[in-house]
Amino acid sequence: MSSPEVAEVSSARDTAPRPKTRQRARNLGFIPWVAPAAVTILFVFGYSMFQLFAQSFQYHGSWVGLDNFKLVLTDPLFLTAIGHNAMLLAIVPVLLALALLLAILLFETKRGLRGYRATLFFPYILPIPVVGVVFGQLLQFNGALNQALHAVGLGGLAADWLGDPSRALWTMGAIIIWKEVGFGVVLFLARLMSLPSEVFEAARIDGAGFFRMHLHVTIPQLRTLVLFYIVIEAIVMVSWVFNYVYVLTNGQGGPGTSTVVSELYIYREAFQNQAPELAAAAAVLLFIATLVLVVGFFRLQRAGEGTFAE
Amino acid sequence: MKRTTGIVAALAAVGLALTGCSSSNSQNRDAAATLATKTAEAYPTGPVHLVMWWWGEQEAPGAKKWLADTVAGYQQKHPNVTIDTVLQTTDGLIPAFQAAASAKQGPDIEYFWGGIYSQQPAWSGQILPVSDYIAPEELKHYLNASLEDSYKGKVLTAPWYVNPQFPVLVRKDILAANGLKVPTTWPDFLSTCDTLHKAGVTTIAGGVKDGWFGGWLYSMLGGQSMTSRDVTAAVIGQQKFTDPKQSLWWTKLQETQEHHCWNSNINSVELYQAQQQWVSGDAAMTITAGTDAPNFVKKVGADKVEIMTLPTFGDSEFAKKMATTSQTVGITAWTKFPQVDADFIQFMHSPDRLAAWFDATGSLPADDRFDVSKVTDPVKKQLFEMALSGAPYLENFIPAELDSSAIFTNVQLVLQGNRTGEAAAADVQKQMERLRLTKPALVNNFKAWNG
Repeated sequence: MSSPEVAEVSSARDTAPRPKTRQRARNLGFIPWVAPAAVTILFVFGYSMFQLFAQSFQYHGSWVGLDNFKLVLTDPLFLTAIGHNAMLLAIVPVLLALALLLAILLFETKRGLRGYRATLFFPYILPIPVVGVVFGQLLQFNGALNQALHAVGLGGLAADWLGDPSRALWTMGAIIIWKEVGFGVVLFLARLMSLPSEVFEAARIDGAGFFRMHLHVTIPQLRTLVLFYIVIEAIVMVSWVFNYVYVLTNGQGGPGTSTVVSELYIYREAFQNQAPELAAAAAVLLFIATLVLVVGFFRLQRAGEGTFAE
Repeated sequence: MKRTTGIVAALAAVGLALTGCSSSNSQNRDAAATLATKTAEAYPTGPVHLVMWWWGEQEAPGAKKWLADTVAGYQQKHPNVTIDTVLQTTDGLIPAFQAAASAKQGPDIEYFWGGIYSQQPAWSGQILPVSDYIAPEELKHYLNASLEDSYKGKVLTAPWYVNPQFPVLVRKDILAANGLKVPTTWPDFLSTCDTLHKAGVTTIAGGVKDGWFGGWLYSMLGGQSMTSRDVTAAVIGQQKFTDPKQSLWWTKLQETQEHHCWNSNINSVELYQAQQQWVSGDAAMTITAGTDAPNFVKKVGADKVEIMTLPTFGDSEFAKKMATTSQTVGITAWTKFPQVDADFIQFMHSPDRLAAWFDATGSLPADDRFDVSKVTDPVKKQLFEMALSGAPYLENFIPAELDSSAIFTNVQLVLQGNRTGEAAAADVQKQMERLRLTKPALVNNFKAWNG
């Protein structure tokens, strides 16, 4: 192309309407609307996350590279804490099965639905410290539960629920199930009640019994919610159980280290052991673990949507 | 796939770069503590507002009223000064202060337990030495300041009141009802446990759910075979926590578990809950804070109670002695008016306030200007005398982190029967070795602290 031709084309390009640019400008029109929220989020979370990451690579303000991560990852207590989080993760399937079962039973219930639903949801709205204090008293070795067991001739089942290191974590898991199951029940029930009744009627006409119908008709229709619930509860078990541990064990994670979880480890490093850098490194690791769960959820959800679309 | 490989490669490169940078700066962790300083200025004439975070009502009931009166008295004397006091919980005292120190705002005057609990905040630059603002002639009267709260020639925090650590309260009536006398030797004590257990009576009521009682037991039992110098030697690596004299107390603790000396629910209750079993007559003995002991004795009746130290098994110079420590107050590094903080602390030690402290709480103010000879109550007199000739309180000479993560936890496990004394001692040693790795500066600070 000769130079006058180039100039001509260039001039034409400058003056002619540019649909792509206009389209792009239109696409960017949302920016003023989301900017205030985005700036706030960036300031509140972005800045603190940046600080957290920066601190995890420092010691008393000096750069130490991965030293803090090495120290955290070789700390038996941190590994114990992570192990406990993983054990708590194992109760998510129990929680899910229980929530599904109760939601389906309520869905099938003809009378008293509101009362049952409120009763099951009630623990979920209780503050965790209240739950912790109440169960802490109930489950003492000489507490109400063991006294009741003795009274009905089941003294052999009495145990030091929170004082025995081999039981304490599972006892805490049971308390978490009791508190969290109501959320799942209400979630699943709301979805069940919005499903078209024709599907269930058709299944019944086709001869499906209780288990078959719910296994092959009800649960598949709850799939996206099930995935959502699994991820939410998985995040709870990984990074939201601090309150339970703190209140039930007076911030000790005991007996011994039997109920120490990663959040308590972070808290103790930061606020008791004066090691904010180690706390930051552990927090970064926890953040990454949670991020993996969230990303995993979105992928699963997308796959689930695809399946439904088919 | 290409994108994923690229991300992994980039992360690996960053990781390698970070690893490469790490070793050169590792020695930063060894840096010795530099105490915070702030120039003392003239007493201000303009408005001054101070905040004091404190603890103590829990072990010295009546302290709250005394502090309110003291603040009122000080404000009357200095109308330009207002002081707000905030009572902290036992579990929240240290974390709340650490959070405040991170933010460099919060209290102007802070409460600290003695020894390591006043040393570590100073080593971290979170408090100003009180000796920068209070004259030596005044400070020399403050009990236990030189042993527990001094570092490199400076007094870090100011003792407030003395805590005799810790009296064993024995109910003679319960022992007599079971044909027993107050045990004085270790074998007698274990035999008492056996007899009372068979009779369905708890020998000693305690609670370790919140951990703190573990530290008490460490000091009471450990003090029979070692001194604070031994403890410090183990911290800095000159001795081991598994050495016979360092680990003997773990073996003795295990013996108490094997002889069913404790209440069966010791792991699921807090100490303060457990002590009520002694008051209600369900346990023959309990252990209380020295400051609170007279109140417990009063509830049961002095004629039914004997106060003693734990029966002896060891041969340390302090074996038959009760330990003593002073609870203290310090001046925070971020306060705007350190001279006013210091002046208020001195006001807490004025003759009128010392006498008022004893009247309000029944416990001993940490000041040798308080006339102990005027105390007529035999229980208090005995406690004060034991405290004034007391032994160093061992728990105050180990890193606070080791206390909570090794002593508290292992005591819980030994008392539950899940761990032997030997294994507990090995775990403490292992955790100390790790602590030297993560906080090497601690070792240097301990060396500097103990000369």
